[in-house]
Amino acid sequence: MNTMNTINNANEVLVECQSVWKIFGARSSAAAKAVSERGLSKSQVLNEFNCVVGVSGASLQVRRGEIFCIMGLSGSGKSTLIRLLNRLVEPSFGKITVKGKDIASLNAGELRDMRARNIGMVFQSVALLPHRTVLENAAFGLEVRGIAKDKRNEIARAALEKVGLGDWTTRYPDELSGGMQQRVGLARALAADPEIILMDEPFSALDPLIRRQLQDEFRQLTKSLGKSAVFITHDLEEAIRIGDRIAIMKDGMIVQVGTAEQIVTKPADGYVADFVAGISKIHLVRAHSVMQPVDEYKRLHPGANLGVLLHASPEADIAELIDLTMQSDRDAVAVVENGAIIGVVTTRCLLRGVAGTSTAAVDVG
Amino acid sequence: MDISVITDTFDEWTDVILSWISDNGEGLFDFIRAVLEGTYDGILWLLQLAPFYVIAILAAALGSRLVNIWFGALAGLALILCAFMGLWAETMSTLALVMTATVLALFIGIPIGVVAGFSKALDRVLEPVLDLIQTLPPYIYLLPAIALLGYGPATALIATVIVAMPPAIRLTSLGIRMTPREFIELGQATGLTPWQMFAKIRLPFAIPSIMAGINQSLMMAFGMVVIAGIVGSGGLGETIYGSIRTLDIATSINAAIAIVILTMVLDRLTQSAVDRAKETDR
Ligand SMILES: Nc1ncnc2c1ncn2[C@@H]1O[C@H](COP(=O)(O)OP(=O)(O)O)[C@@H](O)[C@H]1O
Ligand SMILES: [Mg+2]
Repeated sequence: MNTMNTINNANEVLVECQSVWKIFGARSSAAAKAVSERGLSKSQVLNEFNCVVGVSGASLQVRRGEIFCIMGLSGSGKSTLIRLLNRLVEPSFGKITVKGKDIASLNAGELRDMRARNIGMVFQSVALLPHRTVLENAAFGLEVRGIAKDKRNEIARAALEKVGLGDWTTRYPDELSGGMQQRVGLARALAADPEIILMDEPFSALDPLIRRQLQDEFRQLTKSLGKSAVFITHDLEEAIRIGDRIAIMKDGMIVQVGTAEQIVTKPADGYVADFVAGISKIHLVRAHSVMQPVDEYKRLHPGANLGVLLHASPEADIAELIDLTMQSDRDAVAVVENGAIIGVVTTRCLLRGVAGTSTAAVDVG
Repeated sequence: MDISVITDTFDEWTDVILSWISDNGEGLFDFIRAVLEGTYDGILWLLQLAPFYVIAILAAALGSRLVNIWFGALAGLALILCAFMGLWAETMSTLALVMTATVLALFIGIPIGVVAGFSKALDRVLEPVLDLIQTLPPYIYLLPAIALLGYGPATALIATVIVAMPPAIRLTSLGIRMTPREFIELGQATGLTPWQMFAKIRLPFAIPSIMAGINQSLMMAFGMVVIAGIVGSGGLGETIYGSIRTLDIATSINAAIAIVILTMVLDRLTQSAVDRAKETDR
């Protein structure tokens, strides 16, 4: 993970949701009451109160320096959840804290201040103001904070340079391609120098090539600037490429939170399993989760000489392990940590890892 | 019972009410008349500073800048024709009346429209009122006005302001309400104050609609100012009434031509200003 911030306050929680609900509709307060008293489900609430449950009982923590992805199908409540984090949507109940402060307690001025300084947002629609130049758009957040023109233009120009648009400052948004517009959106958020950036499907409307490029750039930039981000997507591959941790949403609920590897190798339920079924595991599954314990290897291969096996680190992914296996004439690779062999990856382990069904525990040879 | 008794009583009552209003509101009506005629005189004075060919050249220059060179040339020549028909003074009076009424209508209408854009309640109250104003035959507004303000430009102006106001209110309110949702959200997420939200987000998006409202108000004012010739507004409208009464058909047709010229020139100029506002709002 991010080396810069792991040095200090590594696990400081920046944003936290505790059992947050959002119910939409005319009778949402009655529905909320019924939910808390009787524990109604999403469809029961719809039937009984004609209210839509946007987010139901969501809990999550975003740590400093982390990119936290929220993945789910359209309508699963992602946009609602991310808007709860900067109070664009008021929760029906539950508690949301940002930097340790309960955001429900902020008055209008404090809320504006938090949005202007601490939490930036980037939208799928980009929402660049059409009558302003690229530079003026990037400087928008600083402008409304009353920062002098020279100063804010300087900061905005620097932000545009970071996203590779230094030469486009005097253009208007409609002169830019979709990918470039989204970069301006990101520069606008970065110029205000917030600690947390909320991204609601920023790349969903872009074509695949540009999208990949932006994903990599975004991850790099966020990490090098030491920002934290909540990133929404309906595309699991995007979540895997970008996220340090991923939350999977379904019908307003968070069904699983974990690293890409955890989600792919240990899906919490059939729903998640269906999602990850098509995902290639070779860069996700690592040696430590597919290896056999040394004893077991010795039991199954009496007389095998561990000393001749090539070495791999526990963090080596399947692709690297395959390479190593191909380089040697043995069918196995030793996993080494601090100079000691802690396990063995056999071709069988590799195949199971690629198929995505195995963990070391069920590998009985 | 004889129905004429009722009719007479009704007339009496109307008289009583009107004279009560004009007696008690005398100061108010004097003030209104002073504002209306003062503005009108000022604008007319400005328009009469320059000889007709200077105004024609100005219109030509503006026309070729905003529309194209052909329109500019045509507009200049058409205005010169007005002068050759011997109707220059009347044409300028009409122009001054239209400008005065439009400026006042916008001065009142745009702020009301802005508030209505924010307040659903006000919008709901205004809607039927504006509908009524636009449904009634515009002559109607001359009658109470003439009773209270007397014969002359003030009466013509106030009736014209009433008729010209609805489009400005409606289209301003519409423009304010039509701000795309994602930009409202951008404003909120950026931490804008309500005033900043209005000035930096809602207003810029509303400009094209407001400009369209200005153009429509101007056109409504035109129609009404001509009708208002009947109450002594001065200008081309009064020329038409006067010449029809004396069966001077030639003059009335000339005046009509001058009205058509003035209308088309102003409409095209403001219409292209609207298009420009839409264009810059990329
Ligand atoms: N303002 C709203 N009023 C009523 N229902 C809403 C509103 N916003 C979202 N919803 C509903 O809440 C659910 C979650 O929506 P959303 O958060 O937009 O999902 P996603 O971003 O994952 O597509 C959907 O069923 C949607 O129809
Ligand atoms: Mg969404």
